Amino acid sequence: MFRINFTINNKGYTVDVDEALRLVDLLRDKFQLTGTKEGCAEGECGACTVIMDGRTVQSCLVMAFQADGSNITTIEGLEREDGLHPIQRAFLDAGAVQCGFCTPGMVLSSKALLDKNSNPSREEIREGLSGNLCRCTGYNKIVDAVALASKYLKEEESDGASENSRK
Amino acid sequence: MIRQCITPSTLEAVLNILDEEGKDVELIAGGTDLVIDIRNEKFKKSKLLNIAKFKLLKFININEDKTSIGSGTKFTDIVENGEVEKLFLGLWKACKSVGAPQIRNMGTIGGNICNGSPAADSVPPLLALDANLIMISKDKERVIPLREFYLDKGRVDRREDELLYAIKFNTLKRNEGIAFEKLGLRKALAISRISCSIYIQLEKNDYIKNIRIATGALGKYPQREVELECMLKNQEISTGLLNTVSKHMSHIVEQRLKGRSSMHFKRSAISGLFIKTCKDAVEEAKKNV
Repeated sequence: MFRINFTINNKGYTVDVDEALRLVDLLRDKFQLTGTKEGCAEGECGACTVIMDGRTVQSCLVMAFQADGSNITTIEGLEREDGLHPIQRAFLDAGAVQCGFCTPGMVLSSKALLDKNSNPSREEIREGLSGNLCRCTGYNKIVDAVALASKYLKEEESDGASENSRK
Repeated sequence: MIRQCITPSTLEAVLNILDEEGKDVELIAGGTDLVIDIRNEKFKKSKLLNIAKFKLLKFININEDKTSIGSGTKFTDIVENGEVEKLFLGLWKACKSVGAPQIRNMGTIGGNICNGSPAADSVPPLLALDANLIMISKDKERVIPLREFYLDKGRVDRREDELLYAIKFNTLKRNEGIAFEKLGLRKALAISRISCSIYIQLEKNDYIKNIRIATGALGKYPQREVELECMLKNQEISTGLLNTVSKHMSHIVEQRLKGRSSMHFKRSAISGLFIKTCKDAVEEAKKNV
């Protein structure tokens, strides 16, 4: 067993993990964070994407011990007290969800992209989501959703700014 | 079956462990290839030596004469480095074409080299740059040209007590440029079916003073195409010359891949890919004035 300290969705944990355990298994089986999906198990599909220290990784390609000392965000960590995260809302509003299996990974890749580039072009969105496969549909609605999410986030920011200036 | 995972706190401790039990341990950095082997029970050693977090292995130093990249540097860090993009476009493009964003966020350039894959994207440009590898062990340092590092498919000249510390090559100057092209089955997440990287040094606009050509996925490991280099060196570049050389390249591929089902495709595809890469390299060299 190997002892690791890490943060999941802003909460710190210390756990003993088997040396051969992958991060995806740790999240799903030990923490019951089953929003993280396992698809291909070889880093092709991106369904198991989580954000580790600000960057997306495929949790099927990361050993649990590699997460020691890191800060992880899963899809469960996005929801806020007042409801869905603007990116989640945008995916619903744009009709970008069909079976939903790829959606958690898509949303987290979108978040990592928008955190770095708040106003991406369609090409940049496609590039940012190139590690996430959707087998239901084409990608147009998903790209629409990310563009819409960018708009929602900017509106939220300007609302926050005007509220602050009123104070 | 993994029985133990060791995460030393110093590089010195890593080298001590490699020195004492190098044959029983496997190094893990990004792990994007290794984790799949572990899962598929193809991994035979009992211990993992985790070197992922060593800051000492993560650096990109570009000096006037030499450039060195730490083996633990992640592809994303290379892709986000504007200097690399400006000076070594071919290397930058190759790093950007590795896997997908998630893989580039974990995968390291040292892992890509040491894994010994014939299709490793970052290797052809490093071969074209005539890079050297700096291998370190407990008591010594060994410098080995990258072109001598590959022994066979998946087999490299890393001794059991050694760690790849950095990759070093000349910083490109005026009239020098490097290009990279790859053919995969799709735009992203594609394993190279063929890749080609060319370094070129021009003189008086179109005269090739020096050229180094490297290919990936056209044999047991990425390799230099010295025969072609000889045909192009000290020549005035022209469409006719490029056509002749690309035909010869097709012939080489045909001989090398004889009996393999991919031969017919690769024989044809390499010729266009070679010409495109060569033209890009010339353009790069002309840009660096």
